[in-house]
Amino acid sequence: MSADISHGGVAEPNEDVDQWRGLSIRVVLVDFVKSLVTLSPAVIAVLVFDVEPKFNTMWPFLVFGAWGVLSAVADIIRWLFTRYRITETEVERRTGVIVRKHRSVRRDRIRSIDTHAKLRHRLAGLRIVTIGAGQQTNAGEAAFVLDSLARRDAELLRQELLRERASSPFDADLSYVPDGEACDLSDGAAQSHHVEVFARFRPHWVLYNMFSVWAYLSAAGLLWGAYWLASTFGVNLIVVSSRWVNWDQQGWVGITIIGLIGGGLFGALSMGVNFFLGYWNFELTRVHTETTSFLRTRRGLLSTREVSRDESRVRGLSISEPLLWRWITMTDTNLMTTGLSIWDWEQPSAILPRGPRGIALDVSARVLGDPSPLAVLLPRHPRAALRRRLWWATAVTGITIGLVAVPVATQTTPQWVLWLALALWPLALLLALVAYRALGHAIVGDYVVMRSGTMNRTTSALRRDSVSTIAIRQSVLQRRLDVCTVATMTSAGWSTYEAPDVAADEATVFASRAAPGLVEEFLVTRP
Amino acid sequence: MNSHDDLTNNTNDLLSLRLPKLRVERRAMLWWAMRSAIIGGLILGAVVTGYVLYEPAQVWLVVPLIVIGLTLIVKVLVEPVWRYSVHRWEIGQFASYATSGWLVREWRVSPMSRIQTVDAVRGPLEQLLGLATLRITTASSYGAVKIVGLDYTVAQEAASRLAVVAEVAEGDAT
Repeated sequence: MSADISHGGVAEPNEDVDQWRGLSIRVVLVDFVKSLVTLSPAVIAVLVFDVEPKFNTMWPFLVFGAWGVLSAVADIIRWLFTRYRITETEVERRTGVIVRKHRSVRRDRIRSIDTHAKLRHRLAGLRIVTIGAGQQTNAGEAAFVLDSLARRDAELLRQELLRERASSPFDADLSYVPDGEACDLSDGAAQSHHVEVFARFRPHWVLYNMFSVWAYLSAAGLLWGAYWLASTFGVNLIVVSSRWVNWDQQGWVGITIIGLIGGGLFGALSMGVNFFLGYWNFELTRVHTETTSFLRTRRGLLSTREVSRDESRVRGLSISEPLLWRWITMTDTNLMTTGLSIWDWEQPSAILPRGPRGIALDVSARVLGDPSPLAVLLPRHPRAALRRRLWWATAVTGITIGLVAVPVATQTTPQWVLWLALALWPLALLLALVAYRALGHAIVGDYVVMRSGTMNRTTSALRRDSVSTIAIRQSVLQRRLDVCTVATMTSAGWSTYEAPDVAADEATVFASRAAPGLVEEFLVTRP
Repeated sequence: MNSHDDLTNNTNDLLSLRLPKLRVERRAMLWWAMRSAIIGGLILGAVVTGYVLYEPAQVWLVVPLIVIGLTLIVKVLVEPVWRYSVHRWEIGQFASYATSGWLVREWRVSPMSRIQTVDAVRGPLEQLLGLATLRITTASSYGAVKIVGLDYTVAQEAASRLAVVAEVAEGDAT
């Protein structure tokens, strides 16, 4: 295998223009060093602190060690056998030893390019490039990933694929770019006359990102990690902590309260730190290329991520507002686009971090056009929609009571269970009202706007020309109340977006306007 | 102006969707009944087994048992007839159109230009009754139109006719 892999690799005889290129060899080193670092606490514990190595504390390190060696071997093989190239019409990748895989993606099908680097990749000058083309994520197939390329190669690849306009690297205002990131951001900033900046990182957004249920999970994870790490050094954190808290005297109520408050605070803090790490230098821009434009986000302090999404694939935008935090207008903003997975942990479809509603609406106006369809005041749904929700709230309470009735009557279960079930009722009625007030729908220009959701009020604006299927649904209860649910199906985002409980008279007209030309041939004028 | 803007000029309550032209096979009623009997029977069997074998659970299972039993009766006797009166279908000029459901009724319209795949699918029970399901998928994972209870030859003919249309349609249908 030739040594100058990063300068072009093996040229195919018949492909004189487009050469096969390879991954960067540094990926092997990076992954190997990572496994060494994972092992270091154990080594320090044994060598420096003289801890006697015991199997029950050391086994995770043995597993990590073995895993590190195995993955280094796998990396070498991957590096040896992976080649990619860009032709006029396609990107291709060959990989695999025993099973040779050849994948090619037509360049006009590319919907997104994701350039990602963890801290270790950045130190080694590496980037992981993921090329998104709709079909693959829909089929649950692995995406087109190149892990990892030298930074220069990754930038070159992105520029070639997006056909970005050529420009000299330092002809623009770089004043806002912090030193450490100058290299990463220079090319984007350099083309400032082709780049519109929609939003930049604001430190106070951290407030919106500290509070969620995940805080507890993150606290639990961190505390467990600390406990486990300390135990390798022979320290039991529960014993240590009993210096301040007498765990035996608290009883389970006390421990729960301490856990809820302490865990919540600790979790919120860690979420805040996490936000700064993840969204430092955040920037949302529109990048114009020869043929189309891209919405690009860049973010990250230690590990960085840059996602470019083809705007011609954008089908709309949705914002969702959690009920408990509506008083500070906490809002999530997600792009509806084909080719980006909504299940991805890194949320490539989120074009803004969680933040104030005002920013989300500003950005929506710039992405979808001014005035933003999401900012339109939506008329309230018919009263029948409220009645339906109240009925359901009552039914759910009734079912719960029905389930516990026999056990309570025969005194297998204490009576407070029944009271608890009854107490559900007012809560359910309240949520029914909240759900009713969230309802709304409208046609605004090229977009169909739908709003619903109880715990998370979601407003979605979907391009009307991207609605592929229309379904109108009516349950027996809805029939009595003279309302229908109109569902619009599309290939992007959640695939289906619904306007629940539209007045039955209006539903057909709304459906025919939401998908122009679709239902016309089945319409009749009612006598 | 184009057609959808005209609609707004009219008074809203004058327009409605007409029913699709074609009904499904009568045999489909038998298929729905058999399907409900098998699935419901399995669930009922599992709960009865739990009731008999695990005595402490009995007090919790009385109400569920009654509910499951009643549901089974309704699903075998009422649902098939009800569904037969609702299920209809039609392949129009620009779109396929189907109504389905019983407690929750659904009108579904899907354009020809977005068709990705067309299949005539037959499960074991359907094969027994000479029935088939016509499944027309679009790029949306929820957008498929499924027309159940068709005669096998009818479904196959419709599928091949639609496949030709899908070939003609341009673009990648997203």
